[in-house]
Amino acid sequence: MTMATRYDAIVIGGGHNGLVNAAYLARAGKRVLVLERRHLVGGSVVTEEINPGFKYSVLSYVVSLLRPEIIRELDLPRHGLEVLPLESTMTPLPGGDYLARWADHDQTRRELYRHSPKDAEAYDDYGKLMYHLAFAVKPIVAMVPPDPTSLSFKDLKSLLKLSRHFRSLGNEQFHALFKLMTMSAADFLDEWFETEPLKATMSASGIIGTFLGPRSPGTAYVLLHHYMGELDGAFRSWGFAKGGTGAISESIAGAARRFGAEIRTDTSVAQVMVKNGRAVGVVLDNGDEIHAKVVVSGLDPKRTFLELVESKHLPDDFVKAIRRFKIRGSSGKVNLSLSELPDFTSLPGKGAHHRGAISISPSVEYLERAYDDAKYGNYSRRPYMDMIIPSMIDPGMAPPGKHVMSIFVQYAPSDLEGGWNETKREAFGDTVIETLAQYAPNLPGAIIHRQALTPWDMERDFGLTQGNIFHGELSLHQLFSLRPVVSYADFRTPVKAFYQCGSGTHPGGGISGWSGRLAALKVLKDW
Amino acid sequence: MTTAYDAIVIGAGHNGLVAAAYLAKGGLKTLVLERREFVGGAAVSEEIFPGFKVDTAAHKIGAFHPAVMSELGLMAHGLELVESDPSVFSPLPDGRALMLWRDAQRTADSIRQFSSADADNWIPFTQLIAKATGVLESAYRSTPPDFVDGTLKDLWTMARLGGKLRRLGRRDMPEVMRILPMTARELLDEWFETDVVKGTLGAAAITGLFQGPMAAGTAYTFLHHHVGAGNGAMRPTVRARGGMGNLTEALAAAAAQLGVEIRTDAAVGNVIIENGCATGVVLAGGDEIQAKTVVSNADPRRTFSQLVHPPHLTPEFTRKIRNVKLKGVCAKVHLALSELPRFSGASDNGDHLRGTISISPSLMYLERAFDDAKYGSFSEKPYLEAVIPSVTDAGVAPPGKHLMSVLVQYAPYHLKDGQWDAARCDALGDTVVHTLAEYAPNIESAVLERHVLSPLDLEETFGLTEGNIYHAELTMDQVFLMRPVPECARYRTPIEGLYLCGAGTHPGGGVNGASGYNAAREIVRDSKRRR
Repeated sequence: MTMATRYDAIVIGGGHNGLVNAAYLARAGKRVLVLERRHLVGGSVVTEEINPGFKYSVLSYVVSLLRPEIIRELDLPRHGLEVLPLESTMTPLPGGDYLARWADHDQTRRELYRHSPKDAEAYDDYGKLMYHLAFAVKPIVAMVPPDPTSLSFKDLKSLLKLSRHFRSLGNEQFHALFKLMTMSAADFLDEWFETEPLKATMSASGIIGTFLGPRSPGTAYVLLHHYMGELDGAFRSWGFAKGGTGAISESIAGAARRFGAEIRTDTSVAQVMVKNGRAVGVVLDNGDEIHAKVVVSGLDPKRTFLELVESKHLPDDFVKAIRRFKIRGSSGKVNLSLSELPDFTSLPGKGAHHRGAISISPSVEYLERAYDDAKYGNYSRRPYMDMIIPSMIDPGMAPPGKHVMSIFVQYAPSDLEGGWNETKREAFGDTVIETLAQYAPNLPGAIIHRQALTPWDMERDFGLTQGNIFHGELSLHQLFSLRPVVSYADFRTPVKAFYQCGSGTHPGGGISGWSGRLAALKVLKDW
Repeated sequence: MTTAYDAIVIGAGHNGLVAAAYLAKGGLKTLVLERREFVGGAAVSEEIFPGFKVDTAAHKIGAFHPAVMSELGLMAHGLELVESDPSVFSPLPDGRALMLWRDAQRTADSIRQFSSADADNWIPFTQLIAKATGVLESAYRSTPPDFVDGTLKDLWTMARLGGKLRRLGRRDMPEVMRILPMTARELLDEWFETDVVKGTLGAAAITGLFQGPMAAGTAYTFLHHHVGAGNGAMRPTVRARGGMGNLTEALAAAAAQLGVEIRTDAAVGNVIIENGCATGVVLAGGDEIQAKTVVSNADPRRTFSQLVHPPHLTPEFTRKIRNVKLKGVCAKVHLALSELPRFSGASDNGDHLRGTISISPSLMYLERAFDDAKYGSFSEKPYLEAVIPSVTDAGVAPPGKHLMSVLVQYAPYHLKDGQWDAARCDALGDTVVHTLAEYAPNIESAVLERHVLSPLDLEETFGLTEGNIYHAELTMDQVFLMRPVPECARYRTPIEGLYLCGAGTHPGGGVNGASGYNAAREIVRDSKRRR
């Protein structure tokens, strides 16, 4: 059956980048259709009531990088986006002590001083440097990566602009940036701090979503992400969306609809139709064909080029490059419904720490050992965890007096020895709870419902190849002009009128919407 | 003594000697001061066992700049290079073994017993590596440009290197760019499936690094160790006939002929600095020697924490020097043997013992060896790079006897429970012999004498801070215009008239003389400008 309706653009996948892309295209007056396989939009950015009355931010759970430009240009607050600040990070320690960083600068300073006067001094200088470096990186994140192999005027100009930008930073910042891009988080932080839990908790942000340990080179630059959110003062670096992360997707979908985009859920795309090297529409799973002038994929590069497009339409070298694109998953997620708050031995009773992030990262060695397990094909016996209790920030997330808890867990390797199954998934869930019980002994008794997700589940349920939450590892050889493949880092593909807009493109990773926006601008420029 | 020199080189390591020779060639009256009683630094042969000439530190020569070899006439001064074929023999516990030959086709044939796909990939792989190292070679011959405040000369260097990269073409250029920051494992996984092929190549990527083959940037170190190697040759094994000491003695002789004065047993106490300029040195004995230029072949940490007094440096610079990662991970074990080790399954003709014997059955073996070091102990199952020079060079051991030198990794300088001492050295020596015995059981009874040099011994004997054999780790954040710190990347330092010429500067790492050669070029240029 061929449907007569013709769209300007079809966006495959209603994840946050796909929605942002659709919203920008619609805003420019294009007739846009978004096709989402699941029953709700959002991709990995969804809120679901897995346990009735308890709302889980099933996968991603915090906002840090959503670009202020996008919030402003799409007028997201009007569509229900409200970001509540996450003000603190608390790291409970095995000996009964803890390390906390609070919203209040002086309080943080006093707390750090308690652990190390030297670190308390260094913390401010470190913050200043990172703030400047975040500024230095911002224009790079915001640009369409040039093709270093091209001799076109446009690409050469862009390369020249890039080199001029780096030179304008001055020696100190340029060299600091160089180090940040190439060092391990642990080595970088070793130059500044001596308190183990501080270094561990900070370096933990460098390993999230990667198949690397804190001592692996290439993990330092993600430390910057924590400072990038603060740039425009739009909101704090870490926040929680009222209603769960799904509210972010809902608000973007709302904006897209207001601009005229059509969004169809429960609609799975089987293939991109290509005629004479040009994308002309898509075929759905049920055989329906939908035509459009342009097709944009929000799926990861493997899924986009190895499943949606027949290989005969792609150059062999390109297919080879996509095949070797690294996309190992390394993290899991556990969502809990709780009858009471976890009571931490190190900070007994209800407190401000319950309204912030809680990090199980007592030392760099702890994280590194967690990584070692994954390296050899096991999930971590003592994993790194980053948690929040959304019901403490937004009471609507759970019934009165009850709580929900989001636990990001690393490492859970996609290529688990012998493969994942239900039994192993639940054993993994047990490991998480047992580990937490060492810090909050009342937790196991407070659990009403538990949802454990491994890379296996993320691939099956969310379409993330190998369960990689960033659509491809964020290693140096897969960034900028090389993401996902050299000469195709500008959101185009070898197929004319077929574009990519997911996290597998520059800059990738996190709920930033940046890939979706840059891709839309590229599509419009080519129009 | 008050005789004034144009230049004093502190330390007669191979880079110091190369630098001195070229300074003299450039018209500078040069004096080399060496702490030990003989020249050579880490490229020396010592009779630690009676009748054996042992290469106590480095046991292989890297890719020496051919121009240096010929311009200094090293062959005429007694140097004879011996390049082994096969270059590497990598045995497996099951009796099979991988051989890397100088001829790529022959290596491919050796690989075919494991995997025909790997054998087919071998030559294309060596071609890609040759292209990548070709670009690096140009960079290694250049002084790193000042990217931020660069002059026209710096811009020219950048343009030249960029042009070199571009000339690889649209297909190979991005490929070379892509592989530089990769992990050795990722690179090798893309090409090969056989564990021992990947392990043996990966071993070259981690030598001297406090990292395993799964660390980003180890693909670069793999390339680093192949710069200047002949087309298709992997892990070439080159040594000097008679011992490594013959290389540095030839360098010293060449320098002397050019008018360089070399004094041994002359430890430098500190560099004299007046008004921010280096004006000479004070010997440990108290004597002062004046010179317009002072060049340090010592590592950057030693240079700026011991030879230069802190008040002459800014706190920021001192902090950067303190943060230079050294992290020594290598130990040396020397064995005097009554007979050659017999590797099960190896051919009888002894060919396999001519080059490097590499105990590197898989990348995971190397990674596990690193895991031990990461937590502060030496590897239970270490990576071993062994040579038996007496196989190709009878003169280094008494008749009928053999000499084996083993580079052991990982043996971290910083141990979790205490310091390196005699007992720990013994334990490491036992581990090495037991590990070798798994492949060549007769070795345990063949050991006549054993000498273990821990990273601490390397520091104390050779002045290598933290026992780091490369004067500063060869990680991505410490190479090229970042080596060892940006302020010293062009061999000049914040102290006017004080230069660095050791392996801690670009390109560094390995016995190749490139740092000394590049440094001398910059120093001569500066001295001409001053004149």
